[in-house]
Amino acid sequence: MAESHTWGPCQPSQTVSNVIQNHPHYLPFNVLLFKPPPVNESMGSSQCVYFRMLYHYLDQKRKEGSARLHATYLVSGKFVENGTTSHKVSVVREDQLEDAKSKMSLTVSVHVYSVQKAVLKDSGPLYSADYDAVKENLRNCSRYSAIRCADAVPRSSAEVLQACETTQAPPPETEQIKANHSNLASKPTSKQPKGIMGMFANKNVSKNQDSSKEIKLEQKDDAPVVETSKTKPAAKTNPVSNFFGKQAAKKPDKSIKEEVEIARTSSSVVEKPSSPPPKAETPVKEELAKDAVVEKDIRSKTKRLEHSDSEEEKSESRRMKRRRIKKPEPDSSDDEVIPDSPPRLQEKRDPSPIPEIQVKKEPVAVSHSDELSDCKRRKRRRVLKSCTFVDDEGCIVTEKGYESESYSETEDDFKVSKPTPKNPNPPKPSTGKKEEEKKKKAAAASNKSTKQASITGFFQKK
Amino acid sequence: MTTLTRQDLNFGQVVADILCEFLEVAIHLILYVREVYPSGIFQKRKKYNVPVQMSCHPELNQYIHDTLHCVKPLIEKNDAEKVVVVIMDKEHHPVERFVFEISQPPLLSISSDTLLSHVEQLLRAVILKISVCDAVLENNPPGCTFTVLVHTREAATRNMEKVQVIKDFPWIVADEQEVHMQEPRLIPLKTMTSDIVKVSNGMVLCEDYNT
Repeated sequence: MAESHTWGPCQPSQTVSNVIQNHPHYLPFNVLLFKPPPVNESMGSSQCVYFRMLYHYLDQKRKEGSARLHATYLVSGKFVENGTTSHKVSVVREDQLEDAKSKMSLTVSVHVYSVQKAVLKDSGPLYSADYDAVKENLRNCSRYSAIRCADAVPRSSAEVLQACETTQAPPPETEQIKANHSNLASKPTSKQPKGIMGMFANKNVSKNQDSSKEIKLEQKDDAPVVETSKTKPAAKTNPVSNFFGKQAAKKPDKSIKEEVEIARTSSSVVEKPSSPPPKAETPVKEELAKDAVVEKDIRSKTKRLEHSDSEEEKSESRRMKRRRIKKPEPDSSDDEVIPDSPPRLQEKRDPSPIPEIQVKKEPVAVSHSDELSDCKRRKRRRVLKSCTFVDDEGCIVTEKGYESESYSETEDDFKVSKPTPKNPNPPKPSTGKKEEEKKKKAAAASNKSTKQASITGFFQKK
Repeated sequence: MTTLTRQDLNFGQVVADILCEFLEVAIHLILYVREVYPSGIFQKRKKYNVPVQMSCHPELNQYIHDTLHCVKPLIEKNDAEKVVVVIMDKEHHPVERFVFEISQPPLLSISSDTLLSHVEQLLRAVILKISVCDAVLENNPPGCTFTVLVHTREAATRNMEKVQVIKDFPWIVADEQEVHMQEPRLIPLKTMTSDIVKVSNGMVLCEDYNT
């Protein structure tokens, strides 16, 4: 901190006397209140010079003893009160000057604030003395300040208007940009936590692969049937799936853009898994309810957006495998429940980025369209479960299939999706391996489910 | 520019209101500056965008208010020539007199100063002068009191008796002793001239206490 100092004289007293006598508040015979104005146009000097002149005048007059003058001082410095340190600036009478200086831990500046003949009882006259001058020169107070910066140039009115417009315009744009960025960020975030998305993708792939393997191993007899049955719905849904698939294939890169557009316009149905607006939910629901495979295709293709082509191939193989698995299921009463539809609907409901969609589209996450109402948090999903039965030949067959079950968004519900019970008496030794694989799959599913729950929860919280 | 005649009572009422407000502020400030009453009963208030001192004592405030309430009809009719605040010692001898000479132009006109900002500026200057007037004054003796005198025409005096507001707060003719001072000194403080009113403020001091 600067040492305390008192402004000293810098000009002859005659000049100061002339200045004071010419001051509008000066009456030659009795009343005098002289306070350096904020703007000294006559002198053309800064206020600091004025204070020095005032001090010199006061000192001289007191030495001469010609006039009985009273002065007020401006004291500034460090002030500690209740443990808090602050910079205090106060105007005090001359008889209170020493007291004010003693109260400060460090006195930074002391200078004469005003000179007058009368003993001021309060600060009202000091404020009133230059009230009009301050109001008139309010915008030019710094003109005569000692602080200077040659580069500081006041802006023109046109520039000020432009600045105001730019500050006003961005907010709506920024909101859109935020939405865009949120979607765009989803991409990088999805890419960025490549670990997360990649983990899910990889695990999904691995899980599907495992499931497909298990199904292949266990359902050798049903495999062709499965395949055929799956191909049928696949065939049925092929046009739709192809439609969606084509679109997904066509515009994998534009999904984000579409999200952006949707966020902006909140317009029509988004035919892609990328974030559709809430309005488009119902028509989309209807369309999507028809085709689970389509969703899977979209899933895979949305995943394709983030992952490499090798993964795309994996997804395709997964798709194929999934079709096989789902063949018997369309015959069930869960036609309306298409494994991928609800998550897709969820996706469309939320202006969420792709990674979120992918997460929701994990093989376990499935929900009814009816239950996709905003208020309901209880959803249905398809869970891979194994079903043990005795076939015609008397062999105990354990078949894995998706079954719908309700779950809530909490993690506890995801624990329901535990690994299915093993077949205590595997008909064939190979089933042991199958069981192990099942365990792995189930474990993976459970892990995924738990993780998925956590991640969905994470995204949903957003 | 709108030109109104004095017959326009609304405009006259506006002028009377402005002057009465100003006189109330001035009286309170005089009592504070000249230490007629202890400074503890005064508190800082804001008037004309500047800090002023105003009494908190209810009876004192009521007295000043009633006094100016009776002066207001005279100002409206331009019957009041002067309003004087007299500070007297214990023997009821005037020590100081603050004289406010009031005159209104024959044609009251509202020029561009529709908000009366110029009038406010002038009144602010008068207040400032009153606050530093004790530079040329000595301290008053203890136990001083004050009173308010109104210089008006005789016809106006007769009409005052008919006004109900004055009946509730009766006025009496001032003593010669209170009106005139022996060898006084006149100290002009401030003169304000505006389109609606002209006020000259000066001090008349009794020589006995200021030699």
